[in-house]
Amino acid sequence: MYLLEVKNLRKVYTTRFGGAKVEALRSVSFTMEKGEYTAVMGESGAGKTTLLNILAALDRPTSGEVILGGKQLSDLKDQELAAFRRSNLGFVFQDFNLLPTFSLKDNILLPLVLAGESYAEMENRLQPLTRKLGISQVLAKFPYEVSGGEQQRAAIARALITYPQLVLADEPTGALDSRSSDSLLRLFGEINEAGQTILMVTHSVKAASHAKRVLFIKDGEIFHQLYRGSLSIPEMYERIADTLTLLAAGGDLHA
Amino acid sequence: MPRLFYPKLALGSIKRHRQIYGPYLGASSAMVGMFYMIMFLAANSGLSSMPGSRTLKELFNFGAVVVALFAAVFLFYTNSFLMKRRKRELGLYNVLGMEKRHIARILGWETLFTALFSLAAGLGGGTLLSKLIFLLVARILDFPISIGFEVPRLAVLTTLQLFGALFVVILVSSLSQVGMAKPIELLKSEAAGEREPRARWLLALLGLVSLGCGYYLALAIEHPLDALVFFLVAVVLVMIGTYLLFTTGSIALLKLLRKNKRLYYRPKPFIAISGMLYRMKQNGVGLANICILSTMVLVTLSTTISLYVGIEDVLRTRYPREVVLAVDSYAPEVVEMVRTTALSALERHGLKAEELVEYRLLSFLVFQDGDRFVRETGAAGAPLGGTHSLDFIPLEDYNRLVEEQVTLGENEVLVFAIGGAYGHAALKFLDWSFVVKEELEDLPAGGLSSTQSLGSYYVVVRDPGIMEALLQHPTLQGSRGAYTGYKLGFDLDTSREQALALYRDLKETLSLQEEAFTMVESREAAREDFLVLYGGLFFLGIFLGTLFMLGTVLIIYYKQITEGYEDRRRYVILRQVGMSSSEVKGSIKSQVLSVFYLPLAVAAVHVAFSFPMVTKVLVVFNLTDKGLFALCTAATFAAFAMLYALVYRATTRVYYRIAAAP
Repeated sequence: MYLLEVKNLRKVYTTRFGGAKVEALRSVSFTMEKGEYTAVMGESGAGKTTLLNILAALDRPTSGEVILGGKQLSDLKDQELAAFRRSNLGFVFQDFNLLPTFSLKDNILLPLVLAGESYAEMENRLQPLTRKLGISQVLAKFPYEVSGGEQQRAAIARALITYPQLVLADEPTGALDSRSSDSLLRLFGEINEAGQTILMVTHSVKAASHAKRVLFIKDGEIFHQLYRGSLSIPEMYERIADTLTLLAAGGDLHA
Repeated sequence: MPRLFYPKLALGSIKRHRQIYGPYLGASSAMVGMFYMIMFLAANSGLSSMPGSRTLKELFNFGAVVVALFAAVFLFYTNSFLMKRRKRELGLYNVLGMEKRHIARILGWETLFTALFSLAAGLGGGTLLSKLIFLLVARILDFPISIGFEVPRLAVLTTLQLFGALFVVILVSSLSQVGMAKPIELLKSEAAGEREPRARWLLALLGLVSLGCGYYLALAIEHPLDALVFFLVAVVLVMIGTYLLFTTGSIALLKLLRKNKRLYYRPKPFIAISGMLYRMKQNGVGLANICILSTMVLVTLSTTISLYVGIEDVLRTRYPREVVLAVDSYAPEVVEMVRTTALSALERHGLKAEELVEYRLLSFLVFQDGDRFVRETGAAGAPLGGTHSLDFIPLEDYNRLVEEQVTLGENEVLVFAIGGAYGHAALKFLDWSFVVKEELEDLPAGGLSSTQSLGSYYVVVRDPGIMEALLQHPTLQGSRGAYTGYKLGFDLDTSREQALALYRDLKETLSLQEEAFTMVESREAAREDFLVLYGGLFFLGIFLGTLFMLGTVLIIYYKQITEGYEDRRRYVILRQVGMSSSEVKGSIKSQVLSVFYLPLAVAAVHVAFSFPMVTKVLVVFNLTDKGLFALCTAATFAAFAMLYALVYRATTRVYYRIAAAP
């Protein structure tokens, strides 16, 4: 059984005054198995963010299905969706989306607090996780007091602390300098090695080259995909770059 | 570049920001209008024909000063808010290549448009409403007037000058803000200020102490004159306390709550406490302002309304009888002269004296120290509350007053304390040591005491000889402070005109007497003066109350808008982390609700604590009806709370439109 099944996803936005219709996703289908590490690539406006929002159950598709862990997302009511999102999904965003009103520790614990966990359990989970992410020294600080890299690590800790089935990452290296980016991508690799399923949306070739599989999306459709297999990261980097060049030239590839 | 480039740009930006500019224009127009109206009343020729017009004009001039001060503070406050919201836009102009002087020109045009609009709308509206407000004053003062339409030049000129100057100063302050900032600061200014607030325990404690002292003063003060003196002190203490507690106290408290992990790490407190911390830091001062303004509105309205509604009580307290004659001697021939003059005047007018009261008295101004009374204050600067008037009355006069046959022993006295109890078994004064035989519950007509603000003791002694001996005491020779007198008071069962005619007749006749100086007081004659004073205060209370309300509403509105923009991002993140949108809405709603009603609740506490003190201050104004004041306070609070709730509902809609926008 697949962890995630996406079937014929279509999303049409209607402009505010009911005039022009914009087709953000035309027909997207793919599947992911447990333990996979997949990157979705595409240019701005290709429909990456729309796809991610639908997977995150923050937005509903016009037609098509998303099945996560055997659950059809469109069957869930708004109230259930929130709980579902809380316990099955973890999010990492480009601009971290930490709440400025909370210390890093409280930001990380936020999903557990919302789920009504006991404080002892929170402490149990927090210690090993933050040690692994290297932020146990800065937990008492507030987002504005620490570096971007540390903020993003805190955001990752917040995503992982619920032991989610799937981590969704939206351009996670977008706001980081190259050194922080490298260490973050290494971290994602390690997390994935430990068994965590990750779906990352990015237009950075470097970020995508760390994934085990890359999906290319163009004009609202899956256009092509690459598996890393036994390739090294630099080799994968070249393969992706080549594919993107072809894509930009309007070449005709098929998955 | 087109000729009207800058004016057009300025006009366009006002239109674009109508959500924040609209209320600003409305408020500044209203301030202009209100200032014009109060100036109109002060300068109006129709009022000059009124009895007591000087008192009224003084009241209105005082009102004008308050309006001017309030308008200045208020327009500055709102303008600083506007500038904060607009810095990003101005920064963008700067980055796009406009120089600071170009931006200054835009701001200049904007201020010019704002000023022109406010002055035109304010003066126009003020002129239209001025006749209405004049009729309202006439109605309150029970004064028949008919005037044509009038636009006093002085009022218009003063309004133009004041607000013209205000707008210039506001422009200068905006320009200096822009002038000093770098473009990047302008661009980023809205994102600044997300720091975690620090708990300043010392200040919080100071606030608590200050508030406590203010409350203690309000509760502990017994004497009406002290209440009058210390009222301002208490107000300042409570204001300091309110500001400190809203700004630092709330943060300290929330941080304390956050330290309790079992309480804090649960869904609702978690979001609420951290959210409130942030809100209190942003809004502490604004909330304190709302709270203080609300308290001002409540106290002003409830006191002026009770004085006006209770004017009969005031008159009855101040003038226990319709006509009171007081002469500064109790020599038998003087007493006889006053009595016969009064009786013959009554006869001339075909009137009959009812509830007639008369007695002789010897009065001293003294300081009380337990059961001992001294004529000089022991220590310099002794509280006013220690001052008493000690009035001796002979037994025969007392017996006539109460129509009884009481007897007293050699050194025995009866004591009556106005507005309190004496509570001692002896009474020592000069060389005498009296034994209190009985403390009286009541004395007819309060002993014709003209005012209750000075605590008075009436001491009934066995015979006039004692009074004469007191008066002849060696330490009294050549000094003032002892007063002999005879008082005669009576009610009349007749029309107002007849009573006034008798009063004028008596005054005329007695002023011709050369033996002694006799004071004549009449309740009816005083009614007009009181009506002018208390009616004027009542009008001013309503007028300023409306002004303060306007300010409160506007602060609330801007607070909601600011919070709306700031909460928007939090909404989005909380949803992503796993709160349903209805949960997010619920949590934010409860925060907005508590932040919003906090000032009202605190204002209610302030008013409750001020009640005993204000009651005593009102005694100085001769209002002794506590029930009436309680009723007026309760009614004012209920009306205010209702209005407050309406404003809340209206502004919350704006808030949600901003914060919950997709």
